[in-house]
Amino acid sequence: MFKMKCPIFICIILCTAAELSAQQKTLPDRWQFHSVNNVGLLEGQTGSSFQLQTINGAQYRSWFAGIGLGLDFYRYRTIPLFLDIRQEFGRSTKKLIVYADIGINFCWLTDNEKTTYLANDKFNKGLYADFGLGYKIGLGKTNNLLLTIGYSLKKLKETYETPEYYYPPNYPPDKEQINYHLNRLSIKIGWEF
Amino acid sequence: MKWKIWQTNNIRFAFLFAFLFSGCMKDKITKTYTITTPIFEVLSKFRESIKSQPATDISITGKISVIGKYIYLSEPYKGVHIIDNSNPASPRNVSFINIPGNEDMAITGNTLYADAYGDLVTLDISNPLNVVAKNFAPNVFPDHAVYYYTAGYVPGTTFNPDSVNVIVGYSSRDTTVDYDPGNGYPVYYANCPNCSLAPSPAALTANASQNKTATNGSTARFSIINQFLYTVGYSNLTTFDISNSFTPAFTSTVQVDWHVETIYPMKNKLFVGTNNGVYMYDVQSVPAKPALVGQFTHIRACDPVIADDNYAYVTLNDSSACLGVLDQLQIVNIKDISNSFWVKSYQFTHPVGLSKDGDNLFICDGRAGLKIYDASDINNLKLLKEFSDATDYDVIAENGIAIVVAASGLYEYDYSQLGNIHLISKL
Repeated sequence: MFKMKCPIFICIILCTAAELSAQQKTLPDRWQFHSVNNVGLLEGQTGSSFQLQTINGAQYRSWFAGIGLGLDFYRYRTIPLFLDIRQEFGRSTKKLIVYADIGINFCWLTDNEKTTYLANDKFNKGLYADFGLGYKIGLGKTNNLLLTIGYSLKKLKETYETPEYYYPPNYPPDKEQINYHLNRLSIKIGWEF
Repeated sequence: MKWKIWQTNNIRFAFLFAFLFSGCMKDKITKTYTITTPIFEVLSKFRESIKSQPATDISITGKISVIGKYIYLSEPYKGVHIIDNSNPASPRNVSFINIPGNEDMAITGNTLYADAYGDLVTLDISNPLNVVAKNFAPNVFPDHAVYYYTAGYVPGTTFNPDSVNVIVGYSSRDTTVDYDPGNGYPVYYANCPNCSLAPSPAALTANASQNKTATNGSTARFSIINQFLYTVGYSNLTTFDISNSFTPAFTSTVQVDWHVETIYPMKNKLFVGTNNGVYMYDVQSVPAKPALVGQFTHIRACDPVIADDNYAYVTLNDSSACLGVLDQLQIVNIKDISNSFWVKSYQFTHPVGLSKDGDNLFICDGRAGLKIYDASDINNLKLLKEFSDATDYDVIAENGIAIVVAASGLYEYDYSQLGNIHLISKL
């Protein structure tokens, strides 16, 4: 089901961007520092989880590019480090924004998430991606409120060994690997300055 | 105009999107594991393969036994490396004895006794470069004789070695399946790599002689006293008469306790280390059947043991295979062996093998390395030197040289001058 709808979603975003890019008016030709700070929810099969992000970068005309760092509590606590690119459309106090994030999840497991009964249990970093669209609502001259919704992907790889305790002598160590491909709906509210 | 339409419908669009896709966000979790299939060889061919080969690199260290100028270092389940230690500052790996399924060994004179899965194999090592298998005692270690079960072998009966298949290796392939770990995990226990590692000490000054017996280290499971070979299984102590060195004869098996780990000889006593304590046996009156004369129990842990005339030194570690929780050295008074009692404990990181030469106590403290103490006062051990350059498993200290088996190889330290203990070689 998701495999079928995901391309549709991408098409909607791209068509929206293409259609609306013709509508925008020229913005100042200079780089401006911006900081985007989001809190939000990640909604998926595992349930609802909290997320936190800070993205810092520069805007040129309608384009923004920055580096983001966050906290992602979905299933396993991770720290996403990512590149954020976004474009805004419109000139009124309410603008449409389209964003895309891509980067790496670093594991920072809580004590409850760590297992003590698996041999050499290790979580490895994995892909992080988030893309979607939203509103940018002006709050005065330099402050903006952001409301975004998108698709977020978190990939992790867990490896551990099963014991040879009751196996025949010289039985090779069994290593198992679990690949987590976690698909989430990402809903965020943020403050940009 | 279009923009205004978008403006008007944006919220509706976002909610529509959320509605459409929130239910489709399924986690995709897969598990990749290995399917392992045994590779068999008939027992007669398997036995033919037990012989000397050219020296090979040491990939995994096991137990050691030292006799004369040679160090015998086992590589678990593969065989035994022979190292010429004429010059401890420059040991040379000279040969390898292929013994599939081998874990333990003991040496006396020119005879090496080793387990090969469930068999006891006797090897002539008079020429360390051309070791020859002389005898096989079948299925004397039933804990490891997986192939005899499938062959329907009845202990004590004759059988055709061509009718028994031995597992000589495994082929593996990976497979991936969808997986739902849910909220819990299957409970596994971590391996206890040090529990199966072990070996022995010996003299470094002379070649092997007919009458010399290699001294085994604290984690060994084979031991020789006079004309008897003693071995421990998971729960028992087995004795072989080796008066005829190439033809060991089974004499007895006595039950000890579950989870037997090590055996250490001290004069006419045997100290058997188990998860739950130390069992002391006398082999003077009836060497062919050891008699239990004392025991000391402790909290469950992996526990190699050594002893001198007055005290037993027991290291307890928290390896999860032993379900242990302590990392300690415990010293036990054994002056009256039937009434042994705890004297003192010292905290360590992960103590494993140990050795004592005079008043000097050597302790392999796992990843914390080697620690050397002045143990003249057992109530006040004084640290003389420590080396944290390796993860150490076992040590043999004799004649001013400490030979240490570590995860990364074989280390030798010169302690002939206590004020200048130093590393002299690594292999």
